[in-house]
Amino acid sequence: MTNRYVYGVMNDEPVEFETDAVGGAERVYTVSHRRLNAVVSDIDTTDPEETDEDAQRHDDVLREIMERDGGRTIVPMQFGMAFEGDRALKNVLRGARPAFRRAINDIEGRIELGLKIVREEDADVDADALEEAVADELEPVAAQSVPNDLFSDRLVLNRSYLVERDEREAFDDAVARLEAEYDDLMFRYTGPFAPYSFVDVKIGAQQ
Amino acid sequence: MFVLDDLLIRPFVGIVDTLHTMALSEMYDIDALEDELKENQLLYELGERSEEEYQRRKDELEAEIEIAREVHEKLASGRVEVKS
Repeated sequence: MTNRYVYGVMNDEPVEFETDAVGGAERVYTVSHRRLNAVVSDIDTTDPEETDEDAQRHDDVLREIMERDGGRTIVPMQFGMAFEGDRALKNVLRGARPAFRRAINDIEGRIELGLKIVREEDADVDADALEEAVADELEPVAAQSVPNDLFSDRLVLNRSYLVERDEREAFDDAVARLEAEYDDLMFRYTGPFAPYSFVDVKIGAQQ
Repeated sequence: MFVLDDLLIRPFVGIVDTLHTMALSEMYDIDALEDELKENQLLYELGERSEEEYQRRKDELEAEIEIAREVHEKLASGRVEVKS
């Protein structure tokens, strides 16, 4: 197995640990090019299928890294990036170096949190007013935020927030205040995640 | 008359083909199915849908998405036969 499955890229110290990795691998380690470290595990394909289990493992590995040493910064990759060997991967690290540097800079010391607000089946909700109230409460505590797809007509709000680790508690409190105020709505508050929604580095084996 | 018929029929066949393709695209709307899959997950997470119901719906939707992908691949390659 010389193919490398990539979870993300960071510029801290290299890591190596045993865990349940994507595609049945048991060891996660880093492949480095200058000071960029790609977090990888070995895999027998370059086109892994996104099963629920492997998607979960991908997230778990990223979360484990984020929790190391009091909080590391990693630029997360979407599920499914695999390369034929170290050389192909290092070429990508070299080529996308400025993009990775910028992305690391943007998310350093920050985490992603998600908020979905869902209305009851027949409830009538003023979505604009709610959006404004949520913005007033949460935007001052967040570094950035982006709207996500309203994939269900039950969803009134779906947003991702980039929050400083140090502001996490203040953000939790702000969400709790909203939840108390809007007790006729259902809140789904999730995270912390690696900041997928706030990095825009797309890499592929063809590059 | 043969030539005239041929000319009249050709554009007609073209329209039927196009309509058929559009109908198939709508029936097998992958985006709509994926949205439903996400909604199913959300309602389960909120405790509104039981685990059993969630799993059943998920299996159904995943199977439908699989079929929809196949239909779209065939549409893209023009290998869908119009059966009457």
